[in-house]
Amino acid sequence: MTPAPRRRARRHLALAAVLLAAAALLMSVGAREPTRTEKPDVEFPVRMRAEEQKRMERRATLALPAPRGESAPAPAPAPEPALRDPFLVGLPVEEGEPVVVFEANALRHSRLGELFVACVLARDPDTFAEVERAIGVDPLKDIDRVAFVGGAMVVSGFFDRLKPSVLDAEGRPAAYGEAGRLWIPDPRGGTVPDPGRPAIALWKDQLLVVSDDPDALRRSIDQLEGRAPVPDAGIPDDMAYGEVYGAIPGEAARRLFGRDERGLGERLAAVASRIELHVDAQSDLAAVVRVRGDDAEGLSDLGKSIGAALAVARVQAQATDDTRFADLLESARVQDRGGALAIELAVPAERLESWFRDCGPARARR
Amino acid sequence: MIPTLAIARDLLREARARRWTVALLAGVTLLLLLAAFGLKLEVVDGALAASRFLGRSVHGDIRAADVALRPLFEAVAYLVFYGGTLLGVVACADFAPALLAPGRIEHLLALPVRRSELVLGTFLGVELLVFAGALYGGLGLTLIVAAKTGVVGFAPALAALLGAVAFSGVYAVMVAVTMAVRSAALSAVAGAVIWVLGIVAGNRAALAPLFEPGLARTVFLLLTAPLPRLSALALHAPRLANGLPLEGRELAIQAGGTALFAAAALALALAAFERKDF
Repeated sequence: MTPAPRRRARRHLALAAVLLAAAALLMSVGAREPTRTEKPDVEFPVRMRAEEQKRMERRATLALPAPRGESAPAPAPAPEPALRDPFLVGLPVEEGEPVVVFEANALRHSRLGELFVACVLARDPDTFAEVERAIGVDPLKDIDRVAFVGGAMVVSGFFDRLKPSVLDAEGRPAAYGEAGRLWIPDPRGGTVPDPGRPAIALWKDQLLVVSDDPDALRRSIDQLEGRAPVPDAGIPDDMAYGEVYGAIPGEAARRLFGRDERGLGERLAAVASRIELHVDAQSDLAAVVRVRGDDAEGLSDLGKSIGAALAVARVQAQATDDTRFADLLESARVQDRGGALAIELAVPAERLESWFRDCGPARARR
Repeated sequence: MIPTLAIARDLLREARARRWTVALLAGVTLLLLLAAFGLKLEVVDGALAASRFLGRSVHGDIRAADVALRPLFEAVAYLVFYGGTLLGVVACADFAPALLAPGRIEHLLALPVRRSELVLGTFLGVELLVFAGALYGGLGLTLIVAAKTGVVGFAPALAALLGAVAFSGVYAVMVAVTMAVRSAALSAVAGAVIWVLGIVAGNRAALAPLFEPGLARTVFLLLTAPLPRLSALALHAPRLANGLPLEGRELAIQAGGTALFAAAALALALAAFERKDF
């Protein structure tokens, strides 16, 4: 080998050493956390979890006597009555009415709730304190659940500190049943209800029922004290999972859709006998809407239409920069389980946090 | 530069005449035809309502077609990246040894071509071949899915590009080994070893705690420091497939580091080549 190639070879060796060192330096110093390739899985509320099972057992405190009928045969020595959740028993639901329950306390301690409360307090730190001063009840601590049943609202919690003036402003108190009290507004001071103002019922300082219809209040207390049967259209104890849950009759679903999606609402009402809703907000926000019906083929077609509507809505949301709606619809899917459809929607926790980025403590600091 | 490109072009011509290359091309084409005729995707207003492969239902949920197809694009991205680089090792192992074949190398050196241009031309030709092969498979499937659903996924194309980047580090070592010992088998073994070490290097942060703190861990980290991060590079296309944003900084560091490693290996190859008399 002549001196020139040897020199070149040495130069190349030196260059190789420098390049190798540069590669090592670049890749070692610049390296960060391993790249994540998948979006985190969202757990959907498809069944009761262990802690919700315990919660259900804890809440089952009401020994419900069998409703007393006039022509009932002489009762045989009955076994101990099963304990039930008084809140669910007291829902004054009628056939064809939707029921939706918000686990207010669980929601407040969920990721979504924490972000929401922080956001509200950042805007006005006295918001909740003012409510407590006005009514005597801390909305963040004393309220456990809120249900909307047809035209009535049922709230469970600790109402022993509720200021009497709040209730007395709605009418004169009247005892009802064993542990119920009613406040029915009457502009003439009598017993004729005023349709413009809601009537209120309180049961054992645990349950507050508000409705324009005083009969709904009486029905609620009757159900709790065994004078009326618990309606089948309500929510059974084992359906009480997630932070929001409810049941909507197929016919009532028609009203949920706006003018643009009226066709879809009509089809849903035609094939769905009952629609169940469960929302989990502990970490991610995940919702399951279960549509049940007898027409399996109709449900299958409906599933395709809903899937298509969700896909189109997502494209529209992306086109209009509605990132929150687009996020919600990204994980949307419809599962056809022959006789039942499950529609799933989710927003991962990190997305949820980005929604509140301009609110709450971060905003307050700015 | 022109002689380098001329050598790369000659290598591509040579590849076209090889049975190995034709067989690989036919295999990928067969897979694409299987996907084209065996995959039935029912799309209703942008939602994937049903999918069947060779008559069997493979997807039960109804969801936005682009979201539903993410796992497919993710799988194709991995296949293109790892399959492309591994097939590249096997299929291209004897290009560099063929360059040094007695009779041929003397002829080439008699031409007005520098040794560095010979090495770079061979490297460039093989790189183009592997990139084109990976792109053919990845982009082919993307086009088939796009024709059936209207959804275009760019992840397979990115995987092909990143596969070519990763293969540059692997093939440069294969060239360097060939320049030291002219053997297709040894070249393939060297490529396979670097391919595996590249996967290890991409996971070095996770693997390092398996070594005792002290000398063993330091040696492991030192040895793997300059190696191309193959398994880390492989993750960028699946990220894209899953609708996650590209991590530009990480990608640039890993691709840049791989390019520096490839350049270092080519410099070693040149050093070995310069020392040889023909």
